[in-house]
Amino acid sequence: MNGGWQAWLRLFAVQGTWNYERMLGVGIGYAAEPLLEDLKTVDPVRHTEAVVRSAEFFNCHPNLAGLAVGATARAEYDGAPGAQIARLRTALCSPLGALGDQFFWAGLVPLLVGGTLIAAVLGVRWWAVFGFLALYNLARVATGVWALRTGLDAGMRVGSAIAQSWLSRATERVGPAAGFVVGAAIPLVGAWYLEPIGWPAAFGAVAVAATGVAVTRWFGASLTTVRFTLLALVLLVLFRWVLP
Amino acid sequence: MTDLSATSALLLVLWGTLVGLDLVSVPQAMIARPVIAGTVAGWLAGDIEAGLRVGVLFELFALDVLPVGAVRYPDYGPATVAAVALAADSPWEFSLGLSAALGLALAVLGGFSLQLVRRANARAIQHRTAALAAGESSAIRQLQYGSLARDAVRGAALTLLGLACAWGLARYAWLDRSTALGLTLVAVGCALSAVIGGALRGAGRGPRLRWLGAGALVGLLTAALR
Repeated sequence: MNGGWQAWLRLFAVQGTWNYERMLGVGIGYAAEPLLEDLKTVDPVRHTEAVVRSAEFFNCHPNLAGLAVGATARAEYDGAPGAQIARLRTALCSPLGALGDQFFWAGLVPLLVGGTLIAAVLGVRWWAVFGFLALYNLARVATGVWALRTGLDAGMRVGSAIAQSWLSRATERVGPAAGFVVGAAIPLVGAWYLEPIGWPAAFGAVAVAATGVAVTRWFGASLTTVRFTLLALVLLVLFRWVLP
Repeated sequence: MTDLSATSALLLVLWGTLVGLDLVSVPQAMIARPVIAGTVAGWLAGDIEAGLRVGVLFELFALDVLPVGAVRYPDYGPATVAAVALAADSPWEFSLGLSAALGLALAVLGGFSLQLVRRANARAIQHRTAALAAGESSAIRQLQYGSLARDAVRGAALTLLGLACAWGLARYAWLDRSTALGLTLVAVGCALSAVIGGALRGAGRGPRLRWLGAGALVGLLTAALR
């Protein structure tokens, strides 16, 4: 089977056609296309069926999509029944979504962003920016290569390959580390903004922060922090306009 | 905001388009994170300090977002670029609040525009249902490239609109110093509430909450000792 590198490159745009009907489906089909190309000469009918299946509904974390692309392409070459491949796709959605969200969005990204914020406010500016981009993309590229290779090697047995992989252990470790780094970043960033303005005025900002946390927790999704902020800014301007 | 040269404005629109694309479509290299988008925009606008101040502020809001599944969220990338353009070459203590107001309004609009693009993608797929059912690879490719183009136009339009609003605000929205400083304090306070709220929600009641508390303690000590 050829087209591995092309498929890996296309995985960077796997969310390109994201929509509320097929979600990642068409993006997965786009990434799988180079892998399925050889099937056209071996079994044209099977190739057409495989292309149709590859672009059907699918959703998972984009950085782990390679596992699904690789596993289903391998299963197509191995001649697995179409219904079984469709079931594999369905079965992969939730675990790949949950693992990826936990590892990347709730773990690695806040960990690296928190570290970047700390470094930036401590004066390491461009290095913080470059360091963040380098570390995240290194992890992301390595995960992408691993995911596609693992999927291609495991085929229908991709579930057990994921269970035995580093991903679950890493997810358990990265979450607390992210909590620690973000926790450390909050007071440092707060001081970075408020110290030059002066602490008496800063108490006002801290009071706004405390009110914001309480109010947005109380109202939940109906009053997000962005809405709360826009409301507070407009109220302040109106107040200053009425009472100059 | 200084009067941007045509080259700087063009570069900012190009950068806004790239960060708009990066959020979801391609390549998700995290250049859409406000701290990155803002610092680079500050460099392009000739004021890295303003870029960093605005970028870090919006990053605090962005840390409140967990982009899982089909959740709807603001698009902070092009919004940060426009907010940096407004804040550039002004003392940040007086420009940050107004820039935050512009940026947050744009971010909400950006989130809405993302829904429009997703619906347009769905409509394009419906038009090509027969080709997809026939297993035409070319249909998949055309859908993909069409969707990427739609998202690029979205990012460019959002950045252009943001720069136009920034220009208008810089020219016509005159604020006295105490109001401008008040807006900055409110914006910083709200950004801190966003990141604290998001961190508490993400930590839950497990060990991550203890690590968050320990980190906050270390951060407080470091801030006090500096």
